Amino acid sequence: MSAATSAAHPRPVSAQHAAVPARSRIALPSALGLVIAGLFTVLAGLNLLPLFWGVLTSLKSQPDLFRTPPVLFDFVPTAENYQRVVDSGFLGNMRISVFYSVLTVASVLILALPAAYAFDRFDFPLRRALFMLVVASIPLSLGAAALLIPNYLYFTRLGLTNSVFTLPLIYTAYQLPMAIWIVKGSLESIPRELDEAAIIDGATHFQILTRVMLPLTRPALGAAGVLTFVSCWNEFVAGSVMIDTPELRPIQPAIYNFIGYFGREWGPLTASATLAILPILVAFALLSRLIVSGLTKGSVKG
Amino acid sequence: MTMYSRLTGVQYVLPAMSLLMLVLFSPVLYGFWFSLFRIQYGAPTDFAGLENYARLLDDPGLAATLERSALFTCAAVALTLVIALALAVWINRLGQRLGFVVQMIVILPWIISTVVATLLFRWVFVSDIGLAGSLIRMAGTPDVQLLNSPGSAMALLIGVSVWKRLGYAVIILLAGLKGIPEDYEEAAKIDGANRWQIFWLIVLPLLKTPLLLVTIVLTLSNLNTVETPLVLTGGGPGDATRILPIEVFDRAFVNFDLGSATALALVMFAGNILLVLAYVRLAKWKT
Repeated sequence: MSAATSAAHPRPVSAQHAAVPARSRIALPSALGLVIAGLFTVLAGLNLLPLFWGVLTSLKSQPDLFRTPPVLFDFVPTAENYQRVVDSGFLGNMRISVFYSVLTVASVLILALPAAYAFDRFDFPLRRALFMLVVASIPLSLGAAALLIPNYLYFTRLGLTNSVFTLPLIYTAYQLPMAIWIVKGSLESIPRELDEAAIIDGATHFQILTRVMLPLTRPALGAAGVLTFVSCWNEFVAGSVMIDTPELRPIQPAIYNFIGYFGREWGPLTASATLAILPILVAFALLSRLIVSGLTKGSVKG
Repeated sequence: MTMYSRLTGVQYVLPAMSLLMLVLFSPVLYGFWFSLFRIQYGAPTDFAGLENYARLLDDPGLAATLERSALFTCAAVALTLVIALALAVWINRLGQRLGFVVQMIVILPWIISTVVATLLFRWVFVSDIGLAGSLIRMAGTPDVQLLNSPGSAMALLIGVSVWKRLGYAVIILLAGLKGIPEDYEEAAKIDGANRWQIFWLIVLPLLKTPLLLVTIVLTLSNLNTVETPLVLTGGGPGDATRILPIEVFDRAFVNFDLGSATALALVMFAGNILLVLAYVRLAKWKT
């Protein structure tokens, strides 16, 4: 199983030696090393403080929030901010975002595996050109701001905006190219003799796909799946342009609307932020290695 | 080769390619067609040729917006690259365990959504009643209102964008560094090269591809970012942080000028395509 992921296959960034333990390799002058260590300390503060202080703020009552000096732990935690966020319908936004993300992950994986299999093993007209389109589409979805206006016009024309399936459709198209790339990379390391043996045993290509390729590419599918989930959960622009109905609004646009609604009331704002981060942090804690490997293999998304 | 029939191959790519066609490719063609018409109430009325594009050229404010976008993107990408490269080289020297923990801390802002990350950053470090604001007030220094002056608002926007995307760049560059065989460095040492020479003459040239890929991806994502300016500054003060994507969305959904919004979006898209082509050239793909 692990051979399928660690064996060399083409990817934009060569990470073939990722398994080599990092000894003291490319050495910098030690004074500079100290400077960078200092830089990292500052960065760690910049990265961790907003999370820590954000969660703390969400548990404070209004008077505690405005105390100077700001209190660290000397306050009575309250759930009132969360109550207000829930009263504004945030749980509904979370539910629909879970639906969008899960549906997108499922459809991305279901579409990516056969496509990657075909691109890797089969010969058909325009194969090279089509695969180039797929590679080109990986970074293309980063330019969502430019893509989205034409997309909005087109979907309005087709009557595809503002439905339950609008966002999963768009998100699947955004994530699919990266998933095909990752899965194809993993398929390349599976010897063709395996297919041939299966064919001799009377298996069809569909059976090879489901019984041989599916289990062997599981780590690649996992990496693509986690990255897809995180991207869907965090997506803002398409969610705010394509959806008008409050019931169908995903969480990121909902939080953005809270900024206008709650204004400078940071209690409920940080409560909604905390609720939005929670699933991501859990996924990150459990699957961080998968996320990093997916990132290196997919090598896009900024 | 005959065991892999052409028909089966087509069947397997067809669903994926149709979806990409529906969502990514045909809207661009439709958008281009749409941009050639005069638009009223969101519907095309009569053929206008390149009028929508000509109106863009006449707009006196647009040049300034382009300039701001260029400044913002260049500064953010350059800063991210330099800091990420330094961090990646440093992390590569740490032990495996410590290195992984450091990576995880560095990548935190990247896995959180831009809306939430920017919101929390603003609350903790920028808001006058937030953590940093309170501490500054306690220290007795006068209030610093970073978002009220054009220069500092732009600097802050650049800073937050660097902070948000740094982790991604570090991960990719680190993978590139780990792919450099150790013998190269050993050999250079034997030949009497010092650390700086090893870094400039061996490491950096070998990192060329990942560096260029990261540059392209960072340029694309900074050039197209809507959320960071929207949540941090709203484009203000005045127009100080009004960059291209904000301009497109305001034209479309605030001024309801869909004609010029589509034209501008397609100009942006053309710029994106250039970057994408560079990416395709660099990505080591084969079929």
